[in-house]
Amino acid sequence: MDFRWSAEQDALRERVRSLLRRELPDDWDALCRHGPGSKEQTEFSLRFCPKLAEAGLLVPHWPRQWGGDDRPAWEHFIIGEELWAAGEPRGPQYMNVNFIGQTIIRFGSEAQKHHYLPEMAAGQAIWCQGFSEPSAGSDLAALRTRAEPRGDRYLINGSKVWTSYAGLAKHCFLLARTGDSGRSGIAIFLVPMDTPGITVRPIPSLIGDGDIHEVFFDDVDVPADCRLGEEGQAWSIIGWALSHERVGIARYAFSRRVLDRMVRSLQQDGRFDDPIVRFRAGQALAACEAARILVYRVVDQRARGLPPDAGSNLARVAVIAADHAVADFGNDFLGDSYSGTAFPLHLAHHERAIAAGIASGAAEIQLNLVAFNHLGLPREARA
Amino acid sequence: MNFEASEDLRAFMSAVERLAAHRAIGLSGPAARFRYGSDLAQELEASGFLDCMSVDELGSLAAASMIIELSRLPECVEVVAASLVAPQLPLQVPRPLALLWDDRRRPARFLPMARAVIAVRGEIVEFAELRDGDAVEIVSSFAYPMGVLREPDALEWQVLDRPDASALRTHWRIGIASELVGCLGAGLDAVVDYVKERRQFGRPLGSFQAIQHRLAECATLIEGARWLTLKAADTASPIDVAVAIGHAQQATAKVCHDLHQFMGAMGLTLEHPLHRWTYRARLLRAELGGAEHHFSIAADAAWGSPAGAHAR
Repeated sequence: MDFRWSAEQDALRERVRSLLRRELPDDWDALCRHGPGSKEQTEFSLRFCPKLAEAGLLVPHWPRQWGGDDRPAWEHFIIGEELWAAGEPRGPQYMNVNFIGQTIIRFGSEAQKHHYLPEMAAGQAIWCQGFSEPSAGSDLAALRTRAEPRGDRYLINGSKVWTSYAGLAKHCFLLARTGDSGRSGIAIFLVPMDTPGITVRPIPSLIGDGDIHEVFFDDVDVPADCRLGEEGQAWSIIGWALSHERVGIARYAFSRRVLDRMVRSLQQDGRFDDPIVRFRAGQALAACEAARILVYRVVDQRARGLPPDAGSNLARVAVIAADHAVADFGNDFLGDSYSGTAFPLHLAHHERAIAAGIASGAAEIQLNLVAFNHLGLPREARA
Repeated sequence: MNFEASEDLRAFMSAVERLAAHRAIGLSGPAARFRYGSDLAQELEASGFLDCMSVDELGSLAAASMIIELSRLPECVEVVAASLVAPQLPLQVPRPLALLWDDRRRPARFLPMARAVIAVRGEIVEFAELRDGDAVEIVSSFAYPMGVLREPDALEWQVLDRPDASALRTHWRIGIASELVGCLGAGLDAVVDYVKERRQFGRPLGSFQAIQHRLAECATLIEGARWLTLKAADTASPIDVAVAIGHAQQATAKVCHDLHQFMGAMGLTLEHPLHRWTYRARLLRAELGGAEHHFSIAADAAWGSPAGAHAR
């Protein structure tokens, strides 16, 4: 065991930080206040990600053949941690490099790889993820959006909801039913968002502008080669993809950065000598560090080629607790400096922490998985 | 960053686990609030495991891992002071060893059988050898042999100029965090076994989501504490150590409440060993100032101490 970073890893982190110092504009905090899906941040990502790609920091973990450098999983993770903590200048493109790209590399056809990967590796691809539906949230396998085979084409009908980034996305990583009910009847489709019959409607929300949407599919006619993998294979593919996604977003790192900022602000106001404030700040810090170490354990397992276990569920539970601890600290001690518009970075945290236990799979599902897979508690009631 | 135990650490821990497995036979023993592992203490002395800090390939990660493993036993034995704290001292100290903080009149675990005591008060580190009768056993709710010094001021205290008090407390804290991880983890395992078997309403208690979620939250806290503690043992940095012990001490309240809740009346008996772990944790959660104190130290380390503050 060694819980220190290597000199090479430290140097990589510093490279990312120095690029951020160079490339982020002075008004970045205000620009990123609405989150990765906002119009401002999405447009910024189309300028920023090509610079990241040029520096070899966008897809270093991908194979060389597809624009990567076969770098270890830790490198991609360190880059992601720094960028998420900074407010995610990759905008929605973090999803491409966290799981969509690798999923296409692993399960896609040669034509799909040639069509989609170069654009992602160049930092020019905006995707959305068409998973949740009005009647299929935590129970994702209940989804009803249907893709009917029609010769060498599919006709897609149905609707998706809470779809992040759909408003400006060029492509959708879509789950639709081609077969019977249940997990085995689902397939994945890579669908251009400008296909006739797709309608996107933004949902005004508490978590920043431009994040969540409804997406309607009315007789959307796509060629069969849009399908990723086989019919019925979706569940095993997304199981693999989500084991990457669950800890791909370093929420604890953003929380920790906002906590540092809030402490600085309290220090400037002469309010940080209060022992209760100090205790609560330390408590929130510990929650962030507990989340961080459990996430690192998952990355370590991936880096060593071990199969995923319940570690990613444990990590998600801890990450949610960290977001809440920092949000509670802000609410209790900063008041309007946390939730008002004067400090955009604080406000971004205030607005998005409420979604910590909802986005990327509900907290309760994570607890179920910890109970089943970590503790070995019985899945079903045995009569 | 690498979470894989080295080959040396794995070999050491499998030897420790063999010793622990041998001791775990006959779990409950006589109904008593605690059982001091005098045989285990002798086996540990004979094994040389307590001196793992002096082996370059092992060090504090091995000590912390050993403490976690041995704290999982329903019997208790002094390992924290022997393996992590004593090696900081510039002299050989007899074992078992007891530790006192702030007040030499304070009741302390293992004092009844201790042959020496270390006291830390502010910046002062003191050491005294104990003869028969210097310490007396007291009746306590905590699942340790507890005692007090009969006449603390009459002992021949030797003031040590090294290590400094904060270095000593750092290793003590790593030990407490490790011991909590072991106690809470063993308690959780016992309760998980119980709720898998215990049936009500025609199904195992452990199939009820109300119980599953609370135990899953406990598991998350304990796993967080485990890895924070191992990291703290590796780096010994003030912030890592304060975060690890604070997190473990804070987790104790929720974990112990939930474990006893789901063990029901069986957990109120002396027959089941659950109390051996939870009533040790009750003492450990307050040691060296408890979670509030340690989170404040973490704040000092992260953002600077308030004006006029002393090292803690």
